[in-house]
Amino acid sequence: MDKPTNIRNMSVIAHVDHGKSTLTDSLVSKAGIIAAKNAGDVRFTDTRDDEKERGITIKSTAISMYFEVSKEDLSAVKQKTDGTDFLINLIDSPGHVDFSSEVTAALRVTDGALVVVDTIEGVCVQTETVLRQALTERIKPVLVINKVDRALLELQVEKEELFQNFRRVIENVNVIISTYNDPVLGDVQVYPDIGTVAFGSGLHGWAFTLRQFANRYAKKFGVDKEKMMARLWGDNFFNPKTKKWAKTSEGGGERAFNMFVLDPIYKVFDAVMNFKKDAIGPMLEKLDVKLASEERELEGKALLKVIMRKFLPAGDSLLEMIVISLPSPATAQRYRVETLYEGPMDDESAIGVRDCDPKGPLMLYISKMVPTSDKGRFYAFGRVFSGTVRAGPKIRIQGPNYVPGKKDDLFIKSVQRTVLMMGRYVEPIEDCPCGNIVGLVGIDQFLLKSGTLTTSETAHNMKVMKFSVSPVVRVSVEVKNASDLPKLVEGLKRLSKSDPCVQTSVSETGEHIVAGAGELHLEICLKDLQEDHAGVPLKISDPVVGYRETVKAESSIVALAKSQNKHNRLFVKALPIDEELTKAIESGKVSARDDFKARARILADEFGWDVTDARKIWCFGPETTGPNLLVDVTKGVQYLNEIKDSCIAGFQWATKEGVCAEENMRGVRFNVLDVVLHTDAIHRGGGQIIPTTRRVCYAAALLATPGLQEPVYLVEIQCPENAIGGIYSCLNKRRGQVFSEEQRPGTPMFTVKAYLPVMESFGFNGDLRSATGGQAFPQSVFDHWELMNGSPLDKGSKIEELVRSIRVRKGLKPEIPALDTYYDKL
Amino acid sequence: MSSTENTFSSPSTDPISRTPLTRTTLPLNATLSKAELSDYYEVQRTVDEIVQGGFKRVALQFPDELLPDSVPIYRLLKSGIDQRKPGVELYVLADTSYGSCCADEVAAQHVDSDVIVHYGHACLSRPYRLPVIYVFGKKPLDVRDCAAKLVSSVLENSEKLGGEGEGRLKGVVLRHDVGYTYKSESIVAEIRDRLSKSPETSDLKLFYSHIPTRLNPSVPTDEHPTSPSPSPASVSGPTESQGSDEGEKVGMEDCAILYVGEESMGLTNLCMMYSSSEIHTYTPSTRTTHLSSTSTNKLLMKRYAAVQKARDADVWGILVGTLGVASYLPLLTHIRNLLRKSHKKSYTISLGKLNPSKLANFAEVEAWVMVACEEGSLVDSKEFLKPIVTPFELEIALREKESWTGRYVLDFESVLSGQTEDDENEKEAESGEEGDDDERPMFSTVTGKYRKVKKFGLDNGADRIEEGDKDGRVVLRNQDNAVGLLGDSAGAEFLQSRTFQGLERREGEDAPSLLEQGRSGIARGYHEV
Repeated sequence: MDKPTNIRNMSVIAHVDHGKSTLTDSLVSKAGIIAAKNAGDVRFTDTRDDEKERGITIKSTAISMYFEVSKEDLSAVKQKTDGTDFLINLIDSPGHVDFSSEVTAALRVTDGALVVVDTIEGVCVQTETVLRQALTERIKPVLVINKVDRALLELQVEKEELFQNFRRVIENVNVIISTYNDPVLGDVQVYPDIGTVAFGSGLHGWAFTLRQFANRYAKKFGVDKEKMMARLWGDNFFNPKTKKWAKTSEGGGERAFNMFVLDPIYKVFDAVMNFKKDAIGPMLEKLDVKLASEERELEGKALLKVIMRKFLPAGDSLLEMIVISLPSPATAQRYRVETLYEGPMDDESAIGVRDCDPKGPLMLYISKMVPTSDKGRFYAFGRVFSGTVRAGPKIRIQGPNYVPGKKDDLFIKSVQRTVLMMGRYVEPIEDCPCGNIVGLVGIDQFLLKSGTLTTSETAHNMKVMKFSVSPVVRVSVEVKNASDLPKLVEGLKRLSKSDPCVQTSVSETGEHIVAGAGELHLEICLKDLQEDHAGVPLKISDPVVGYRETVKAESSIVALAKSQNKHNRLFVKALPIDEELTKAIESGKVSARDDFKARARILADEFGWDVTDARKIWCFGPETTGPNLLVDVTKGVQYLNEIKDSCIAGFQWATKEGVCAEENMRGVRFNVLDVVLHTDAIHRGGGQIIPTTRRVCYAAALLATPGLQEPVYLVEIQCPENAIGGIYSCLNKRRGQVFSEEQRPGTPMFTVKAYLPVMESFGFNGDLRSATGGQAFPQSVFDHWELMNGSPLDKGSKIEELVRSIRVRKGLKPEIPALDTYYDKL
Repeated sequence: MSSTENTFSSPSTDPISRTPLTRTTLPLNATLSKAELSDYYEVQRTVDEIVQGGFKRVALQFPDELLPDSVPIYRLLKSGIDQRKPGVELYVLADTSYGSCCADEVAAQHVDSDVIVHYGHACLSRPYRLPVIYVFGKKPLDVRDCAAKLVSSVLENSEKLGGEGEGRLKGVVLRHDVGYTYKSESIVAEIRDRLSKSPETSDLKLFYSHIPTRLNPSVPTDEHPTSPSPSPASVSGPTESQGSDEGEKVGMEDCAILYVGEESMGLTNLCMMYSSSEIHTYTPSTRTTHLSSTSTNKLLMKRYAAVQKARDADVWGILVGTLGVASYLPLLTHIRNLLRKSHKKSYTISLGKLNPSKLANFAEVEAWVMVACEEGSLVDSKEFLKPIVTPFELEIALREKESWTGRYVLDFESVLSGQTEDDENEKEAESGEEGDDDERPMFSTVTGKYRKVKKFGLDNGADRIEEGDKDGRVVLRNQDNAVGLLGDSAGAEFLQSRTFQGLERREGEDAPSLLEQGRSGIARGYHEV
């Protein structure tokens, strides 16, 4: 733990049901935390009751393990090491898209990722999502192809077919990796022949990399282990008759992988499953597997499990792969520091993080809160990037809104205790040096979800995590008895602490709103809220989708609004912002915190803005960060800087509550063309300008063909061919659009990808199940905002109806205010 | 005080918040004959009261919409009084500084009058200094139709009627717009008669209280008991006051409320305060009845949202919206104390009629609390940048724990007395909780995030409030330098966060220039020299 070079922080990521938690079990069993025979059944990292019931992981769970590498393998480690014992901090993450915020939180504190892919299902939508996230966080992946036993037992594929299947999966993964690859990270594609791909079965507890087989054969062939590994993969053929290697199968050569790797496995399977008792004994001897006497009595799958586990123990091969192929904190932080730290790269904190220096200033990022057994309290869970954290000394707790030099969102407190997180247990420790993942007691009151802890007064924040999902589905909750209200409020606080993604708020109409990434996510959150956090009966409304208001064209005429005293006039035009720029703002690529010159350069170079305009962006909105811009394009207006603050306040207000339905605006640029101001300061104060700015923004938006955007899911559905008809009819009913339909090579399974409006997605899973006889499994993830057809200003149109219903729900007048409410005549 | 139009404001700038008040206008009586006018405005009664009270200077306060009638009324009164007691001076007051529902004592004091005659709709808040004679006007009403419709509404719509046990309806309370006071006797009689005829309603008690036509500042009248109790009799106000004595035994929640009048602030307040009761409204102009209680919940929820927003505020503005309501001064002091105790910064501002742009000038204020008569206190915050809450809501917002039961109080005195109780409770609770939690961030329910609470008045404020709080720390901090003092000023802090902080001072850089004659005139357009 004190040797950063001998730590590996890694997360297990994959599509749902590809066997992450099961595989994790094999690793945990290796560390002796659970009995080997239970591995694969216990799902040690699923700590919650509902996780066990549903068989899905909901919260990410961390475990720390010790692992010893044999001396000879140590030489394969291409980075600095110190001794043969390694500490592996592993985080098992949920696979369901609705919980991918948990994955994000897990990725932040790890340096490597174990990507698990199902042999049969191959690379799925969530595999891609999490892999992309991992790469943007500069996390190095290794691959495990899981559920090989199914291919053998259920599908009975031939060796060559299985090899091709493996190769295809690896290729698919590499395609994703190269798409999102960060040059700083180097080539992180996975290759079996250098030992970054493992094959195995989490359920049966066996797995191997080519390294194991290379070990076996290297001596036999008298070649170097590395060379042997290379030979065991790809188009390397061995002719047993001539004992010659070749690049083609011509002349009776057999693929080395099939011959040396798959063959023994196939033989074991064949012998055990077909009850060829006589064959088993000699084979075991050959494989150097010894069975205990009672194990000999076993039959069928049970026996298979035992043999395979002894033959190719998953824990060993995977941990070995992790230790050899994944970077240590010392290695990883050197290149990750740029993506981790907001401040300049040459201050003491950045240097501490870069060098992973246990004596440097403390830099600790809290990525999430883990509930303790003590109700209402949380462990702050995070990673020490620099320095050493221990109970006692005062440290600075910097929340997400902290700005260096200011006092906002800053607390100076001390940590009460430090603990190691071990799945459902914790282990108290005295202190924790950098490179480790740690739980802290006593600072949960000061941070909501995440934050930076430091001892350096000059330290900036660690960068906040960007989640791939956004909370687009909302419900309002109400207490059944008014006297329970305090409990609800406390419960909401705990809920928003315990989940990285969920958002709670109070609407204008006085309802408590809970927003989540999807139906399942919300369901879990509300269940927690009701049973755990608040513990009171709740009334829960039907889910509601948040919309965005936008404009489709430039304002037809210049909008004018006069201040209440008629002495000030604002002239503004609204126009749409490119979708790319909007997305860049939302993803933080272009942000309000950037230096305005650098930002102007990016806007000019990448988004075709005029540089002078780009330099005169007054602000982003809503919440000063949103994807709407207020741009000053005036020429020589007196006192203009004096009203800037007021204009910004009015703009924030207008973009937060758009003109049509009081939803947030998105992708709207407001150009301030001209301003006429009264010469007396008192007559152009905030009181006159703020409401006027709001009105002029509304008028400009109304004149610019207002539109509405709705959130759209990307749905990926796996199904057999005969279920496709059901999928289409189900999607058609819900305005879904299929844009890809592919057959998985070598299987009868089809993958259908479609866009489905979130609005229409409620109950989709259930419908799909009944329409396809339970054969189709959808995964929906928020993809983009889609402009809806029509204009809310057209009387009688569908979209107008929608706007009316939103307005009624919010307790507003059903009609969109007419233009002359906001537009003043000169 | 004359009614001259504001020099440079157009009608569209009329205060938004006041529209509900002026909605219940009396018909313009320009065509009425002298006799009718005299009857409508109860000239004879007014004359009697003035003469009997021995008042020397009388202020006649008219709301804007009744001003056309002011001259004939003045003449009628003058001639009436002069016949019996010459030498009484009458003044017409107009353009009240706050809501026209309250007696404008300040304006009355300008003419040094000793009584106010208040015309038109009134909120009947107890006056602070001067006795007030109310003339509500006599709005036309078909009593038979009104009673019949209300009773049938109770019979048809009331869910609680005929039920058994706890939730059963035990009585009905009659309330009405002040304009129908002159017919109250007959309405009560008619309804009582009709209730007794139907077997289902025969056991219902009818509560009604007379609306006073004159209020004195000094003696608390019977209609306005000083300490509230949860019976229907406890509440003061235009349409809610003392019932018969039996009323004490029946809780308000067991009663249905009958209301005669148009949609108005009075009705809204009624709905807010008795959100658990059914309210049957008879609208005289359309001769229809409807059940109001459904929309109330939404209103209450909106107020809840405002309170939640107010919880996040550290800098408060106290808006003085009245100078005439009794106990506004104690309340003001109370609010200030309350805010100081919670370490909030408060500014007291008297603005007259509210509008968004006036309030937006005080950008550093994060929430407002409105001290006004009952009808003026509730301001729908939608148009305003910052939430505006009532003193009762403020009290809720400042509490550590969430408490929103739907109970709602608008009356000053109930708020005051309620607060003192709570204060004592809170003090006990606080003593246990103080300590290391000082700096703990607050969870804002509005944004769902943590918010760092700014504390004001920790340094010099502490010794002023808490006599027992003089530990060493306070003294030490008091001797701190100017930097510490600046940090305590909400205004200075706000200025720091602005991008524009005033003109650049270029001391000594510019050559001195000659003093010139400036411009003159009003803001609409100055005369250039």
